[in-house]
Amino acid sequence: MIELTREDFLYQIPLLILAVSGVMLILLEAFTEGNRRDFLMSLSVAGCVGALLSSIVLFRSIGDESIELFGGMLVADRLAYVLTGLFAGATALSAMLTADHQRTHRWEVGELYGLMLIATAGASLLSMAGSLVTIFLGVEMMSIAIYDFMAARRGSRPGTEAAMKYFLMGAFSSGFLAYGIALLYGATGTFDISSIAAFAAENPSDPLLVVGALVLVVALAFKVGAVPFHMWAPDTYEGAPTPLSGFLASVAKAAGFIAAVRIFAEAFGGDVMPFGRLGWASVFAALAAITMTVGNLAALRQERIKRMLAYSSIAHAGTILVGLVAVGVGAGDGAMAAVVYYLIAYSLTTIGAFGVVSWIGSRDKERLRIDDWSGLAVSHPLAALVMTVFLLSLGGIPPLAGFFGKFYVFSQAVSAYDQQLLWLVVIAVLNSILSLFYYLRVVMAMYFREPEGAFTPMRSPATVIALGLCAFFVVKMGVLPGGWMSIAGG
Amino acid sequence: MTDTSFVLPLLLALPVLGAILVMLVPREEHGLHRGIGLVTALATFGVALFALALFDGEEAGFQLVFDLEWIAALGVHFKVGVDGISIWLVMLTAFLLPIVLLAAHRSVSHRVRDFVAIMLVLQTAMIGAFVALDLFLFYVFWEVMLVPMYLLIGVWGGKRRVYASIKFVIYTVVGSMLMLAAIFYVYVQHGLTTGEYTTDLVQLRELVLPYGAQVWCFAVFALAFAIKVPLFPLHTWLPDAHVEAPTAGSVILAGVLLKLGIYGLLRFAMPLFPLGAAEAAPFIAILAVAGIIYGALVAFVQEDIKKLVAYSSVSHLGFCSLGLFTLTVQGVSGSIFAMLSHGLTTSGLFLAIGVLYERRHTRRLSEFGGLWKQMPIFAALFLIVTLGSAGVPGLSGFVGEFLTVFGTFIAGETFPAGWDSYLPAPKLLAAFAATGVILGAVYLLYMFQKTMFGPLDNERNKSLPDVSRREITVFAPLIAMIFVMGIAPRPFLQTAEPSVDRFLTMYESKLTQPEAVTPYAVEFDEQGNAHRREQPAAPGDAAAERDGAGDAEARAERTQR
Repeated sequence: MIELTREDFLYQIPLLILAVSGVMLILLEAFTEGNRRDFLMSLSVAGCVGALLSSIVLFRSIGDESIELFGGMLVADRLAYVLTGLFAGATALSAMLTADHQRTHRWEVGELYGLMLIATAGASLLSMAGSLVTIFLGVEMMSIAIYDFMAARRGSRPGTEAAMKYFLMGAFSSGFLAYGIALLYGATGTFDISSIAAFAAENPSDPLLVVGALVLVVALAFKVGAVPFHMWAPDTYEGAPTPLSGFLASVAKAAGFIAAVRIFAEAFGGDVMPFGRLGWASVFAALAAITMTVGNLAALRQERIKRMLAYSSIAHAGTILVGLVAVGVGAGDGAMAAVVYYLIAYSLTTIGAFGVVSWIGSRDKERLRIDDWSGLAVSHPLAALVMTVFLLSLGGIPPLAGFFGKFYVFSQAVSAYDQQLLWLVVIAVLNSILSLFYYLRVVMAMYFREPEGAFTPMRSPATVIALGLCAFFVVKMGVLPGGWMSIAGG
Repeated sequence: MTDTSFVLPLLLALPVLGAILVMLVPREEHGLHRGIGLVTALATFGVALFALALFDGEEAGFQLVFDLEWIAALGVHFKVGVDGISIWLVMLTAFLLPIVLLAAHRSVSHRVRDFVAIMLVLQTAMIGAFVALDLFLFYVFWEVMLVPMYLLIGVWGGKRRVYASIKFVIYTVVGSMLMLAAIFYVYVQHGLTTGEYTTDLVQLRELVLPYGAQVWCFAVFALAFAIKVPLFPLHTWLPDAHVEAPTAGSVILAGVLLKLGIYGLLRFAMPLFPLGAAEAAPFIAILAVAGIIYGALVAFVQEDIKKLVAYSSVSHLGFCSLGLFTLTVQGVSGSIFAMLSHGLTTSGLFLAIGVLYERRHTRRLSEFGGLWKQMPIFAALFLIVTLGSAGVPGLSGFVGEFLTVFGTFIAGETFPAGWDSYLPAPKLLAAFAATGVILGAVYLLYMFQKTMFGPLDNERNKSLPDVSRREITVFAPLIAMIFVMGIAPRPFLQTAEPSVDRFLTMYESKLTQPEAVTPYAVEFDEQGNAHRREQPAAPGDAAAERDGAGDAEARAERTQR
């Protein structure tokens, strides 16, 4: 029997805030009458801000320590709080954008906000995971909530299809996850990640261990949308309500990565690496190269902006995998910090990009084709400018967050392991060139062409504030990355 | 010198502040946009003059250095400074911008606010790239230039502007992103060998990389810069970009952006990878001469005047690259001088074409003829810039071309490294390059003759107004400088000379230094499993630096619990 102490609760306050306010919101929704969307949205944002603030406080107080909670089921460290803060912030931004999307397209589902918070709580649980059981719990808590709210726009056929696809694929990958965990348990006799690390250090080539780890790679590759397990992503991102696509591309993806970090960097990191010379990183290196290339090549051919952003997010998953490879070959805390930095930069940029897509769409015309964006710079210079900032950041043009993220990840990858990852960085750099073309296509449509028909973007404070915050941080993280690097752990 | 260190940051900040100010003005106030733009550009030029006044021409090192820690964990600094070479390029940039903004008065009539803001941002990026003394900072400015130029061609360009702008981006980005990979490599190598991670150019220059790495890195850097120059056969984006760009874009492109290619080679590629540069020097010199002759021949058969001048740029920039890779004092100084002169004369040519295009909306040579009678003042202005470009003694073009050819001629004798083994006859190259001078006179005078002389037989040309007072104001400073640089080249060369000397001696001394050895950080046991060895900390890895060996113990402790 595990004894619970005060610390066990103290250190998971952000998680509790998210989970409790999520449940409260769902209950509250049942008892509020009529159209209370803005009220629920404000409450969910308040919950997220509470979680964000408490993460900041805990982040500052915990220092470099790593504290085990609930007998090792949860681990509280700086990494956990950075990611929890990111998840909470990203969810608040997505919720603000979603309210306006609901208003524009007249779909009313109040439970959505509660479910979003529960999904975020699941993601935070992953960031604190100290045991494979927690990993499974976190993934399921997050995924099941997402299955629900993805289908929230009931009248929309693509929305329902998107939710169905995500559900089927998610269920499938959950099966892999459970199977992988079972194999690892069979090999090591424990769920505890640090005990698995100890076992792996002694028996690096235990067959069950190796197979179990590989199955887990597959499960997590589904979650982060890495090629060849990415097939669900374009349809889902395209069909889902736009701000929720942003949520999926940022929070859900980052959560998948943090789970991968918790399992692979901590259980199979260490000084002796299983699977030969590159360790588990060799699998990730191959995945990274394929994911970047396929994602970018496919994005080049897209005519629809959400599909393009979906493939772009697949490509970015590849770039993050490059960072994970660097972590895997023992590049140390620097590489870890680079991955975290990239996750923050990428999440803010992606939410912003999907947010602009959602913002300029009106009820009769959602403007989901790139051609629909013609002349935005003439009719709405500010919207075009903000979108350009996001797109250039995704494309890795300085001085924006995306560029510095890439710089940080690539420089860590080059320095790792006697520069033997140079080939991977060269592939990544070539991919950056490719990616610039499809991002610039949107810029081209916005700036080089004359407008066809009037744009009627919503003038709503929530959207403007959310997009303003995203743009501000994307610029700030690029121009003054120093402070953010130290937050990320560099 | 610390009290003057504010000058360069001010120079960088002014245009951006102007751009922000312009964006705050309502969209319809075109006059106000232009006014703010012009005032900002003039103020920037004033600051540049002030920097020149503060600059000590006897000194070889970097001056007016401003150094601010930017990203501490990675050793990235906001470090800017000028030496005798970059000060002139900064001056050129600051000098051209007011002229361009004034010249665009009539040709740019829609989205004026965006235009002025973009030009000002571009100016900051260009000056930034010239003064950056930190590899990271340089790369940032280098990439930032891309977007405004892309928009400049794409929004205000001609019929095929989308194609031209995309082509410009493709070429530039391919070069620069690969350069980024090489930057990582250099950065990491420096960190691993010295234990200090930094992107400071002055420190990185001290590192002597292994031969193979130098060759590769130089190849990648040189590719990025050679595309920008553009070196034959990488020049194919240039005619398209020039033809489609508005006059202002062409002037900035030819006047400043192309110089960044040469400057990048001089400042970054050659000092960082001298062995690679020595390997490549003969090949680049041959390509440069090929470019000189090819550009001139192709220019000669163009029907579009703007294309003609664009190809003349290929030819002229060939001289600049040739001079640089002769690695002689004369060649390098000539290359720098030729860059400045080309910046003035080609800008003048593009502006003159702009004057014609605004009046007739065509650039076909056959549409013109006999304009001398109709537009005598314009003809005189056009003649001076044409002759300046053709390299007539007494005007600016002559000095640079003469020095580069002379430098090539003596290259084999004064600087054997790299040349001897591959190329027995630099003199032969010099002879070919000299024919380029003659060809240059041929196509430029042909252009002038076709437009200005002959009968005034085209009806539509008979009512053309001569240049306005505003247009004369645009040309006057250019023409004055073309004369000044032609008659009195000494001050320009003298200021650059200590820096050129220093560049060459550093280059020479680094050729003979032993290569650095990087300690390997991973070793393998019998089963082929890799073990991490005690290694220099990775960049930004402050924690590892602190406890080092304590790391393993902490893990073991946690495992036991």
